[in-house]
Amino acid sequence: MLNKHRFALLIALATVSLPLAAQAQRKSPLADAPAIRKRFELRSTRFEAGVGAGSTLNQDYFHTITINVRLAFHITDWLAIAGFGDFGVAQVSTGFQSRLTGSLDPAGGGNVLREPTPDQAKASLQQISSILGGQLEFVPFTGKFSMFGKLFASYDFYAFGGPAVVNVKTAGDPGRKCDQAAPASDQGNPNPSRYYCEVSGPKFGPTFGAGFHTYFGQGVGLNVELRDTMAQLNPAGRDTNGDGLANNDDLQWTHTWMVGGNLVIFLPFTAKVSP
Amino acid sequence: MKRLAISLSVCLALVASAATGHAKRGGGKAAAPAAEENAGGEGGAAAEGGAGKEGAPASESLDTTESEPGMVEDEITGPKAQRPTTTLSWQDIVVVPRKAFLKGGRAEFAPLAGITVNDNLIRHYVFGLDFNYFLTDALWVGLQGQYYVKQLTTQAELVGLQFNRTSTMNRYLYGGTFNMGYVPVYGKFAWVNRSIIHWEIWAAVGVGATFTEVIARDPAEQNKAFKNTALTVAPGIGTRIFLTDWLTFNFAIRDYILADKFEPIMDYPDAATSKANAESALVNNFMIYAGIGMYLPTKFTYKTPR
Repeated sequence: MLNKHRFALLIALATVSLPLAAQAQRKSPLADAPAIRKRFELRSTRFEAGVGAGSTLNQDYFHTITINVRLAFHITDWLAIAGFGDFGVAQVSTGFQSRLTGSLDPAGGGNVLREPTPDQAKASLQQISSILGGQLEFVPFTGKFSMFGKLFASYDFYAFGGPAVVNVKTAGDPGRKCDQAAPASDQGNPNPSRYYCEVSGPKFGPTFGAGFHTYFGQGVGLNVELRDTMAQLNPAGRDTNGDGLANNDDLQWTHTWMVGGNLVIFLPFTAKVSP
Repeated sequence: MKRLAISLSVCLALVASAATGHAKRGGGKAAAPAAEENAGGEGGAAAEGGAGKEGAPASESLDTTESEPGMVEDEITGPKAQRPTTTLSWQDIVVVPRKAFLKGGRAEFAPLAGITVNDNLIRHYVFGLDFNYFLTDALWVGLQGQYYVKQLTTQAELVGLQFNRTSTMNRYLYGGTFNMGYVPVYGKFAWVNRSIIHWEIWAAVGVGATFTEVIARDPAEQNKAFKNTALTVAPGIGTRIFLTDWLTFNFAIRDYILADKFEPIMDYPDAATSKANAESALVNNFMIYAGIGMYLPTKFTYKTPR
């Protein structure tokens, strides 16, 4: 009788403890849920194409105004592969360049051989013809904003990085490329060509930066990027290492900052909606 | 035998009780799609509430009653029929979550660090403090103090080597502005679709003074250098990212426009004469800076119903 009693109690305990254990294991249905459901996946598996304009920032001698082209494929909503081309259409002298060349003597520097005339100084100044590159884009931030509580738009922020090539030219004709030997120059036989040379052609380096899209509906958006492209350049085309002559040894890793905006369209024109 | 019958009765009663509990929890699962259906667009609000700060209580108590799905539906479509009401937290899942951070009537202390960005020859690192008082959630007045540390750029060194020229430069010492600001843009973003973070963009303008000092072109004549007090106007835009109830991450870009005086071309015997003959110029000193904002009081209460 006692055994039967114990057996019944055991059954009771087991039966009760099973659902309690199950309850303890239950998680809220919202636990681990995505932060946003039914969201427009404005990027996922969509092509993006855009055109726009931009400008270099913080250049020493010339600001380059560019026309930009951008193509991208968004592999997921947070990862994309893209290509871009920024083509220089105007070169604007900086205030620093104007003041510097304006201070130089058109007759030359007298016994200071390295001092150029204004024309010699301008001849070797570097300008950017174009910047081309490819990049991977990571989109960690997406959201919506309101402006004055009236206008609402979706947006995303992304970071990118990849390889690029900067095509450069000189503002004038220095008469000697930097890979050519520098002529001798001394007080008895001065030769200004020793002190400046032509840096031109493609220069390779990394490009990286950040950007954002803000969307007008699902298929059209505004894209803005802040980009830094590094390459071995010599903006003045003159001696930088103090060896008394200008040549390829004077190339230095240089940052070229750019800001640009593109009007972009996304294809397909309508976005998918997440679960 | 009688004892066995009692034991079995207790056993059955307990099992029945547990089974009833299971049946009730089923309602919570059925309700989830009802909430989801109303979360359209990139910022689907119902789900945001569920995963965000305001949704936390709801997720803990979703399995408390079978009448909850109906309540969610009622909030969306209006009451269709009289249903039993309870004090259940499905109400915590809201269509439009409230702002995550209120600033009206609070003070912000914001240490900052930054760098000037638009001078080819000299850059300044800046360390400072913002003290702001928010009249409303979107409007504030405040004071900012800056202390500068200078650094000559590579270009400043090369200009002598390449062009046989020395540069005319001033260094900034410290400054202060009285600011008024306004918040025109408020937004939120999802961090890899896992959490919702609120932010805002502000615009401000300040008026004050910047104290500068001439860097003599000839280092041997630094004793002839003079100091200026330059009237400064400082428009700028920035953003605040709300981290907790009392803490923000701040980022801004600001143009400190000052009427500065520079070393004259001619050589004068002393600093006073040199200053009297100084060349004036309007300088745009663009600076980017970042910092944190700490708010007092550290808590806030919502004044409007959800």
